[in-house]
This record gives sequence, C-alpha cells and structure tokens, in this order.
Amino acid sequence: MAYDEAPVIDGLDLAVERGSFTVIVGPNGCGKSTLLRALARTMRPRAGRILLDGAPIAGMRGKEVARRVALLPQSPIAPEAITVGDLVARGRFPHQGLLRQWSPDDARAVAAALEATETVELRERLVSSLSGGQRQRVWLAMALAQETEVLLLDEPTTFLDVSHQVEVLDLLTDLNRRRGTTIVMVLHGINLAARYADHLFAMCEGRLVASGAPGDVVTSDLVRQVFGLDALVMPDPVSGSPIVLPRGRHHVVEVAVQRLDHVVVARHAEVHIPGGDTFRDVGGALEQHQRPR
Amino acid sequence: MTPTTAPRASGVTDPRVLTLGPRVAVVVRPRPVVVAITFVAVTLLAGLVTLAVGELGIAVGELPRVLAGEGSRAQEWVLFTSRAPRLGVAALAGASFGVAGAIFQSVTRNPLGSPDVIGLGAGAAAGAAAAALVWPGYVSVPVGALTGAALAITAVYLGTGRGFAAPHRMVVVGIAVGAMSLAFVQLALVRTSRESAQQVAVWLTGSLAARAVEHVVVVGLVLAVLLPCALALTRPLQMAEMGDDLATGVGVPVRATRTLAVVVAVLLTGAAVSVTGPIAFVALTAPQIARRLTRSTGPGMIAAACCGAALLVLADLLAQQLIPGIILPVGVVTAGLGGVYLAFLLVREWKRVAV
Repeated sequence: MAYDEAPVIDGLDLAVERGSFTVIVGPNGCGKSTLLRALARTMRPRAGRILLDGAPIAGMRGKEVARRVALLPQSPIAPEAITVGDLVARGRFPHQGLLRQWSPDDARAVAAALEATETVELRERLVSSLSGGQRQRVWLAMALAQETEVLLLDEPTTFLDVSHQVEVLDLLTDLNRRRGTTIVMVLHGINLAARYADHLFAMCEGRLVASGAPGDVVTSDLVRQVFGLDALVMPDPVSGSPIVLPRGRHHVVEVAVQRLDHVVVARHAEVHIPGGDTFRDVGGALEQHQRPR
Repeated sequence: MTPTTAPRASGVTDPRVLTLGPRVAVVVRPRPVVVAITFVAVTLLAGLVTLAVGELGIAVGELPRVLAGEGSRAQEWVLFTSRAPRLGVAALAGASFGVAGAIFQSVTRNPLGSPDVIGLGAGAAAGAAAAALVWPGYVSVPVGALTGAALAITAVYLGTGRGFAAPHRMVVVGIAVGAMSLAFVQLALVRTSRESAQQVAVWLTGSLAARAVEHVVVVGLVLAVLLPCALALTRPLQMAEMGDDLATGVGVPVRATRTLAVVVAVLLTGAAVSVTGPIAFVALTAPQIARRLTRSTGPGMIAAACCGAALLVLADLLAQQLIPGIILPVGVVTAGLGGVYLAFLLVREWKRVAV
C-alpha cells in the first residue's frame, strides 16, 4: 500500500474475525490509518488483496461494499447548515437509487440509529451547533444508519474529552454485543484499546508486530518494541485488562503493591511514602525498611 | 464557540417524498421548488420589461398580436430578430453558467471555485483570441473558445498533480491558468490590427448583442442534454462534499463522479461562452444566491439554473437601459454587480474567521 511513491505498508497479512471488536494500535505513521482505508476500499493496494467473507473487495461495486462495510473517517466534513436528521439520513445512500431516494426502511433505519446513539432529541438541530461529543455521536449514527455488518472507525475518539471517549466506546461495545456488528477501529490510546478490544493488532513501520487478545499482546516488551517506550504493564484495577504505565524521566516511583507474575520491576528503588513507611523494593517483594519517627 | 441558545433549523422530520408507483420515490423539498419558480417568474417579468422598454419597445398588450404575425414590420424585426433571441440566449446561457458554477463550487468545496475564477472563462477567451487574432481563418471563434476552455481545464487537471481530487489545489492552479490565459489575450490584442482587436475586445467582455436564433438553439440543446446529467449527479456530489473517504464509504464512485461532473460543467461553460463571450460572475454568484435562498445542503442544479437565467436577463436589461443611449456590454454589468457581491462574500468569511 503506498501513497505516491514510498510504500507505507509492506507484506501485511491479517484476518479479522466476524463479530469481534478489533483495535489496531501503533505509533504515528505506522500505517494503521492506511490499513483501515484499504479495508474500507478508499485506497487500493498496489499488490495483494482485501477479502470480505472470502470474496475480493476490488471486484465488488461500490454500493455493494457500502451495504456491508461502513467507514467513519477521521475528519469528516459536515456541510453547512445541515440538520442532524438530514446528516444521518445520508448514511442510507447505499440502499437508495437515483429514483428510489427514500423509503420506509430508510426512515426506520435512521430512527434506530438516532436511538442507538441517544441523539433523538438532537434531530432538528444544526450539526454545527453541537458539541464535539455530540457531533461524534451524530457521525456514528450516520455510520449506523448504513446498517452494515462491519463498522470501520478511524480514531473516533481523538478530539473528544475523556468522558465522551468512554461514551463512544461503550456505545460501540453495545453494538458489538447486541447486534453482532464486527468493529475494526484504529485507536491512538493503547489503554482504552486494551480495555475495549477483543483482539488487538499492533503495527510498527508498516508491519504487523503482534496479534491476539490484549492480555497476550500488551506487554512491556511489546510496548518497548512498538512505541519505543519503557513502561510498566499491569492489570487495570477497574477492568482487569492490561494498563500501560509509562516510565519517563520524571515522576517515577516504583511500588510493587502485589506480587504479579508478568510485572517486571526494572529497578530497585527506595520508596518513601510521605507520612508513612519507607519500603525498599527487593526482587519484586517489598521489605519494610524503616518506620518514620 | 457554542452559542447559548441552540439555533433550530426549520424543516420537517421526514422528507416529503413524491412517489410514482412502487419503484419511484423522489425527495421533494418545497423550498427549492418555490425559489426556482420565483426565479423563473422574475426572468419572465424582466423579459417582458426588456421587450417593452425603449423607443422600439413592444407594449405587453401588443405582444400577442405581434407573436401571431399581425404586428408591423418594425415590431416584428424588434421582437424576432433583435430582442427575443437576445433574451433567449441570456436566459439559457445564464442557466448554463449557473449549473456549471454549482458543479464547480461543489467539486472544489469552495464558494469561490467557479469556472470564471479557475480559469475556464479566461481559457475560453484565450482560445477565442487565438482563433480570431493570432491564427485567423483556421477555426471560428466559438470553436476556438471551446478548445481554449478544454485546454485550460486540462492544464488545471495536470497542474494539480492529483487530477481533480484536491479541491484547494484546483483553485490555486486555476487562478494561475487564468492569469496566463489573460496574458496571452493581452499579447494577442496588442500585436494585431486595431479593427480585429477591437472586435475581439468587445467579445471578451461578454456581450449579448446581435444574437441570432441559431445561438439560442446551440445553448438550448446543450443545456437540454446536460441538465439531466447534472441533476443525476446532484446526490453523489452532495456526498462527495463531505470528504472523499466518507463518500467512498457510502458507495459513491468519487473519481468517476468528479470527472463526469467537471466534463459536464466544462461543456456547459464552453457552449455558453462560445455564444456570449466570457461573461463574468454569473457562474460565481448564481449558485451561491440559490444555495442561500433554498437553504440547501448540496448543489441545487435547478435553483442555480433559474437564478443564473434571472441574473443574466436582469443584467442585460440594466445593460441596455442603465445609461440612456448607450448599450453596455452585459459583462460590464455582471462584473460590477459581481464585484460587489464578491466583496460581500469575502467580508463575511473574514468576519467568521475573526469571531
């Protein structure tokens, strides 16, 4: 896969399972957006094939693919002065024709999409008047109105604040579980990716580095390899999925609170908890060293 | 950035659908229909006024008589040879410019991206100058104009490096192509004899003088063939305005749509320019005015066509009657009005960015 001359992705083989919640992670420029665009048929590979349910996408007509695969790109452009209802209705395009521009099916799909994204009360409002989180839910509703079995999303949470990020991801999880929609998403944040994904693909410089469940894939070795980051990986106390805790040059304090099999504490350090005890971390177990006066 | 009270858009929850049998269902919005009908009414009214004013005018009451062939020779000449063809060309060329402008503004995603700005008009002018002055006698001026327009759009296609896929590049390259075309025209005018240069100079400002029935037929035929194509392209173009990725994701063949749309627009512009000369600003202003009045969210072909027709007929009326005794070339009037409108557009953009 290449833009202009230089190949961005070279020699990539991957398979997405039907009904899975798949997330693609990787550093900037690793080709994850390019991969998604190839899957969505917005970019054509120079060599190799994309198969949907075993049949090559390249041979299918645009609307045919669009009825089975929906794409929410990174920065969609909302036309001026369009209402939420009209924008979501545009998602029905693949099911319509030159002379069949609207049908009861379309109305039903739009209503269902608005309900699923909890944007029904926003229907008459101008898209330009919405907040970032609301707007993203509206774009999602448009993709949902397409009623496809596969939903591709390119960094749907990038410009949202944290509460909205979680909102959108929870919504997608609902969809995945209730309707069985296959979700393939490019996500910037590895922690949210590890929490929400059934299956992770980690990419680096155009190649697939790891593939599997987050628990297997997200290790500090992988994080070092893919992101060049020294980090501690441990189970997230909220969800149990792996959480990546980076070690930068400042603010690093090592406390091994529990003995965990895959936690590797890289340094011995002396820990002083203000107003409390001092511990020294020795070989993964804590040894109380000194009590304060 | 978020206003305290959310603005509510007027509109119905579900679109009004016109169904003809089980297989045809077309979305009809009442507002664009009303706007289009209004523009047609304005055009007709302006047309009647044009026919009636002046010493040679035919009063409205007498029109049916003259149409039936019972008027005086002078009246018949005024109606059939002088004013009616001129009106016909004005309305049809105006409509062509309107549709071409709507298409280009949609493809370039830019209200300033109209054929006159991105070099089509100037290219046609250069073609005409080449045919009339530099290499006279090989081809007629209209054919030269069409060729010039085609060459100009090809230069834009090649110059952007990505064909028509990069709207902002199209505008920039188009301006460059337009500037070069105009330079060629100036060169041609300077280096040739005074009479032929004067003729071409007049043509270059855009004029509806001495139009004949065959001109009406040419523009009318091209419009009749291409307007349905433009209509069929409306919805794909609407989707493409939201971004190539999203449009492809919805099943729009973006490259094919864009290329076809540009070809239609170039043909429409070429045909109109070959008959009237490059009339400035109709293609720029008509689609914008139509879009604003219909509050539509995509290129409205019919509304733009009707608005273009109304604009050009009105401008022609002004051109004939503004200064008593002098008939201005209609391009001068459209340039004057268009300049004012352009300034208004730009100020609006600046205000929006500043806030």
